[in-house]
Amino acid sequence: MKKVININFQGRVIPIEENAYDILKKYIDSLTKYFANEDGKDEIINDIEGRIGELFAETLKKGNSCISDEDINRIIDSMGRPEDFEAEDLNVQNQLGGNTNYNQEQKSTFSENNYNHQNTTKKLYRDENSKILGGVCSGLANYFGLDPLVVRIIALILLFSFGIGFIPYIIIWVAVPSSATQVIGSRRKRLFRDADDKIIAGVASGLGHYFGINAWIPRALFLIPFFSFVFKWGHWGIWDYPSFLKFSFSPGTLMAYIILWLVLPEAKNSAEKLEMKGEKVDFNSIKDTIQGDLKSFGKKAEEWGNDLTVKSKEWGNDAKVKMENLGQDINEKASNYSYQVVNNTKKSSRGLGDFIVIIFKIFAYFIIGCMLFALVAGLFSLGILSTGLLPLKSYILRAGMQDAMAWGTLILFVWVPVIGVITFIIRRITKSKANSNIIRWGFSALWVIGWFCLMSLISMIYKDFKYNNTVQDEIITLSNPKVDKLEVITAPLNNYYGNSVFNIESFASIDEDSAYVRNIWVRIVKSNSDSFQVKLTRRAQGSSRNEATYLANKINFDITQKDSILTLSKGVNINNTDKFRNQHVIVTIAVPVGKKFIVSHKANFGRYRGDRIHIGFDDNDWDRVGDDDGSYNYENDTEYIMTANKGVVRTNIKLKNGKYTYDSNDNYDDESSETLENFKRSKEELQKEIDEKKRKLENEQRELEEKQIELNKTIDTTPKYKYKAEVPQVEIPKKAVVKDASMNTSNVGFFFNESILNRLVI
Amino acid sequence: MDIQNTQSQMRKGVLEFCILSVIRKGEVYPSDIVEKMKDAKLHILEGTLYPLLTRLKNAGLLTYRWVESNSGPPRKYFVMTEQGLAFYEELEKTWKELADAVHTITNNDSFLNTQL
Repeated sequence: MKKVININFQGRVIPIEENAYDILKKYIDSLTKYFANEDGKDEIINDIEGRIGELFAETLKKGNSCISDEDINRIIDSMGRPEDFEAEDLNVQNQLGGNTNYNQEQKSTFSENNYNHQNTTKKLYRDENSKILGGVCSGLANYFGLDPLVVRIIALILLFSFGIGFIPYIIIWVAVPSSATQVIGSRRKRLFRDADDKIIAGVASGLGHYFGINAWIPRALFLIPFFSFVFKWGHWGIWDYPSFLKFSFSPGTLMAYIILWLVLPEAKNSAEKLEMKGEKVDFNSIKDTIQGDLKSFGKKAEEWGNDLTVKSKEWGNDAKVKMENLGQDINEKASNYSYQVVNNTKKSSRGLGDFIVIIFKIFAYFIIGCMLFALVAGLFSLGILSTGLLPLKSYILRAGMQDAMAWGTLILFVWVPVIGVITFIIRRITKSKANSNIIRWGFSALWVIGWFCLMSLISMIYKDFKYNNTVQDEIITLSNPKVDKLEVITAPLNNYYGNSVFNIESFASIDEDSAYVRNIWVRIVKSNSDSFQVKLTRRAQGSSRNEATYLANKINFDITQKDSILTLSKGVNINNTDKFRNQHVIVTIAVPVGKKFIVSHKANFGRYRGDRIHIGFDDNDWDRVGDDDGSYNYENDTEYIMTANKGVVRTNIKLKNGKYTYDSNDNYDDESSETLENFKRSKEELQKEIDEKKRKLENEQRELEEKQIELNKTIDTTPKYKYKAEVPQVEIPKKAVVKDASMNTSNVGFFFNESILNRLVI
Repeated sequence: MDIQNTQSQMRKGVLEFCILSVIRKGEVYPSDIVEKMKDAKLHILEGTLYPLLTRLKNAGLLTYRWVESNSGPPRKYFVMTEQGLAFYEELEKTWKELADAVHTITNNDSFLNTQL
């Protein structure tokens, strides 16, 4: 049973089988391409079409009801295919015509014309006719109208200078169709399920046929991870569920199998079975193309090798002839040398050819594999991410409606499109037509239901979180509120597991029926008195104010002080029955002016530094959290000091490995650099002061010396002067006093230094 | 040497000359040319004939006219131009010389004997 269509062909109405029409169309297309550069292109095509039309009319006159495959093939045979013209035309043109210009012109157009797609729609093809490896370079050269040699040289330079030239090469090789696909009748290989050789649905054997491998290879690939899935699935726990890779490879293969089952048509008739096993080169079958091309590349490489051999022999001979004049010894050496060259080129060409073949094979498979894997993995991870949230479900959702809606959202909203998209991709890759619209509509409908589930789930959750509790602060009495420095840490939690796959930040630890939520906020404010004060605020949300208050009061949060260490609980406890309603605590630490505090990284409030630490000036600026309170450059393990005017200022002391270190490499923020400048300025002033005093001192000294000289001059035996001579003796201690004074100034300097240091610390 | 290749080259070498010679005898339809050449055991694909005719026509050696057909659309009949006739006569002269020469060389043994 074949479908017959009517076409208007060159002014005639022709009933023609659909297949025959396809062949005719391809034939005309190939002619159009072949004559693309010919002057009277349209005329030639028109003439040929006219003749074909006549032959159709004759065939129909004989009593045939329509034009069949056989008829069209017979007619095309008598008209000749472009491949036939090529051989004939070249020869004819070589032999005929006195006009050499005419001759050469034709020759050149024909040699270029063959699969040179400079026709109306310029498309990029890999040039099958003048290829060396995959025909990428010559294809590009054709496309851009360059000499293939130029493109090849550029490609080689890229390959050797950057080493990445092969990536675009392989991408083009894989992605761009070969010009061989333009040849009529090249059979395509398609992916089918093999009903004859099936175990479940024939997916594996179909894959085997497609890739030309034994069906047991895909079977093993499907089965091995599946077994591991069966054995490891028992480990599916709350936090210990299989890692991403294991997940994607275990139920992943099962899912892949199901998807392939859905997607692939079964090879029913013999034509489809032939297509399934088809052996002709097919540009969709990446493996076949690459293998075929690589084989021919091997041959080409050998040819090169032979060429080189011949040439080097010639050179060797040349050398021989020339060397004969120089003497026998040299001659022998030359021939030895040429012999070696010959051998080497033979070896290297073969070895290199094989080597390149292997390298390219590996890279081609690797890249194709990576691309497909990345796409599928991306989709899977979307699904896994949401599946990974499952353990938290019982802490948030109530059983019954909410639970059902959550499952609905997970399966219908997340996984359905994941499977749908993967199915779609595979369908596109294999170019298999949709069996029916049922699957598509089914997927869409399920997804719409998924949306509904998501929306109702969100609205229900919103209701459960609608009200806040009435806030009651609790003042924590500290055992020693007068300490100079307070170090904030959190109590270790025994059953704390890190979760490397998903960072569900708030949840520090989850057990069967209880969990700790790391929902702690620390606020630093200025104390009004001279002692530390700590205030605890419990907060929660709920479907009513009462429920929220109930939950808030159930929060059990310990704050204890020992010496200078303030220990907080690791997290807020929640349990299965009470659910997570954003229970959180706010620990407000009031720091007196001049006293220091440090928050240990072990407290680990949040993943980013300080996103749970808020620094404010007083109790009433809670609304301004995150605005302008200096939290943004807060750092763990860094000592801060409360100042009178500037709020909290960082000192240069950091806690590293439990020891306090002076951090010289610290980037000073504005405040500390300001203090540094103040310090410098005051030091300069001090220097000036000292200089001035020294000057004064020198003046006095000079005066003193002058007086001394005068005194010595007028020295006499008179007792009056003798008495006066005692003066210098009195003056000497004066000198000492001066010395003291200088000592004093330096003392002052030192003192000043200290105070400056203090200020710096502030 | 590939014998088939040489044979087909020899055969095809005279193709254009033969086509022109068929057209010289009067108005002709392309498929008739193919028929006539087939009768003379000289095979040609129609697909190659059309481009050849178009090229000759564009070179001014041929012209054509539309002739009404009783079945279907009008058909294209080719005729030779004055220029084509001159071209043909040149080719004919060359061919005769060539044929004589070939004939002489291949058949006249005495010619070879005298050389020896």
